[in-house]
Amino acid sequence: MRSTFFSALALASAFLFAAPVVAHHGFSVEFDGTKPVTLTGVVTRMEFMNPHIYFYVDVKDASGKVVNWAFEGSPPNILYRQGWRKDTVKPGDMVTVKGFRARDGAHLVACNTITFPDGRQLTLGAGNVKGYDKN
Amino acid sequence: MIRLSRPPLIAVIAFLALPFLTACSGRTGAQASGPPDLNGVWSAPFTPDISKPLGHQPPFTPYAADLFKKEDEIDDPLTQCLPIGPARGIQAGLMPFQIVQTPAVTAVLFENQRTFRIINTDGRSHPSDPDPSWFGDSIGHWEGDTLVVDTVGLNDRTWLDTAGHQHSDQLHLVERFQKIDKDNLKWTVTFEDPKFYTEPWSVTLPVKRQNTEIMSYSCEENEKDRAHLRRTNTKK
Repeated sequence: MRSTFFSALALASAFLFAAPVVAHHGFSVEFDGTKPVTLTGVVTRMEFMNPHIYFYVDVKDASGKVVNWAFEGSPPNILYRQGWRKDTVKPGDMVTVKGFRARDGAHLVACNTITFPDGRQLTLGAGNVKGYDKN
Repeated sequence: MIRLSRPPLIAVIAFLALPFLTACSGRTGAQASGPPDLNGVWSAPFTPDISKPLGHQPPFTPYAADLFKKEDEIDDPLTQCLPIGPARGIQAGLMPFQIVQTPAVTAVLFENQRTFRIINTDGRSHPSDPDPSWFGDSIGHWEGDTLVVDTVGLNDRTWLDTAGHQHSDQLHLVERFQKIDKDNLKWTVTFEDPKFYTEPWSVTLPVKRQNTEIMSYSCEENEKDRAHLRRTNTKK
């Protein structure tokens, strides 16, 4: 059942690579396409809400200090139609997230992919600069 | 036992067969008579730059050309969670819209910010001096398989697309929603605005039926981006 779900989601994710991520703002006014980041940590909160989903991850830096990063994705209605549910990513999940940093230096990332320790991968498309556009 | 004479028998058979005949007639509408049925959830391709399907920039007036060069995406009304406007709502891509059609009124329900348009098809005219509004005053009539919608009375606060094509409160929209078959429409919009464009210009997009329902969307529900936005002017 679980593998079926992730197969469906992987299919949706493949679509997402080609699909524009929907936002109410342009990518470049908030995020910097020249600043890709890859961060690993434990999910502390999921906000499956409009106008974007946000989830938060505790990430340890090189000195061992924990910083809570925010990650932004498409609106929940778009993701729901592509197989996501509000608990697809949930508190306690260990994740590695790729995306692009906010221009203003905040601990905020336009999320592109989420990878779980067993290799399962979800794609939000955000941070896929060419495909990221507002609607 | 009731015996039917031949003419009534033929009438009964024709009546019973009517739904089947209508379904198989190839008619683009669902109704046996009257205008085509546009009811349903639809979506056109996301069109962030309306000059792309046009093939070139629209015929800017000098004023509009200067404005287009200077604008920044941070000023997009949508970024401020303001309404999307009548034509841009059709081009919203992954956020579909629903058409609810009655003889006197056709409503367009946008998923984007859960806004809507009312198109009066009862034969009325535009008010003589409409108060400018986000979706204006729309009246429609049928020309064969096409709902022709005329809209005036728009305010100047929406954009036509993400790229920043703008308009004034003199904008006059003429849209043609043509029923191609049960799952396809052709939408043609003509923009006329003497303050922004030297002549009317038109764009046509395919519209496809969606196997979904209109879902919730509130831009203000958990808006956290505006505090992080920075002017870029990277577009020009």
